[in-house]
Amino acid sequence: MVQLDMPEVFKAGMVKGISDEIKKILGGSVSGSAFGSCIPRPNNLRFESQQDDEIVLLLGRRHFFTNIGWVVAICFAVVVPFFWGEFPFFKALDGNTLVSLTMLWYLGTIFYGLQSFLMWFYNVYIVTNERLVDVDFVGLLSKTVNVCQMSRVEDVNYTQKGFFASMLNYGDVIVQTASEQKTPDSSGELSAFTFESIAYPDRVAALISQLTEETEKSWK
Amino acid sequence: MEIIPGVVINLSMIVSLMVKISMILILILSLVMVRQESLMDRVVNLPTGRSLKIVMWAFFGLTLLTTVIVVLA
Repeated sequence: MVQLDMPEVFKAGMVKGISDEIKKILGGSVSGSAFGSCIPRPNNLRFESQQDDEIVLLLGRRHFFTNIGWVVAICFAVVVPFFWGEFPFFKALDGNTLVSLTMLWYLGTIFYGLQSFLMWFYNVYIVTNERLVDVDFVGLLSKTVNVCQMSRVEDVNYTQKGFFASMLNYGDVIVQTASEQKTPDSSGELSAFTFESIAYPDRVAALISQLTEETEKSWK
Repeated sequence: MEIIPGVVINLSMIVSLMVKISMILILILSLVMVRQESLMDRVVNLPTGRSLKIVMWAFFGLTLLTTVIVVLA
């Protein structure tokens, strides 16, 4: 029986070499900011089920621009109370009720903003030296975590659709795996491992392809 | 409108009651959000998670204060 070991190049002792290699694949323009969409070798990141010798190579999340919808909605909501006096319904309310209603409106707006931010911030894609991890939080009360070994990756594709995606260089990276298991978050997606609206999808796809190739080579 | 003898129900009273109920609902939801943030931070432990936790608790505190003021007013 053939013993399957982790490829030598991905072992913990090779961290420096891996960092340089990843930076080379992703290019110098990739941001290392905590709020970035594509963070190579993130500092102090741990995730649930991470093994001791597992190295996080890339942390991805949706491009910041994809938040534009809720940001605009909040900007609009902030100015709405200034125009309440224009509506007869609000004119009929007494002062205390109007103040309470305004407080409720702003609390609701802040709540919506914080909740949207959390959903964006914590819905992440993690590429380690051994696995792909896709963490999806849907609403406040449910989560789906998809994990795939690098050796189970079959194809890596990426798509960029639309004006903003082309201008800002973000798109979807679709990773086809040997497993065809459908998870609740994968409805409407081609794969459970669809890295949605991630920055530099070409480079991320190249990185995953290279890691998969390295894994295959080392096992041959 | 005088449905109960001696008590006049007007639009402000109805809206005020609905606002109070909504405030309590947002208070509960903000507590759920605090809890959910700590669970999210456990799944993906990012360095900024601690700051976000403080923000969530601050929002809960603000909601609690506002709810108390509105309900007691």
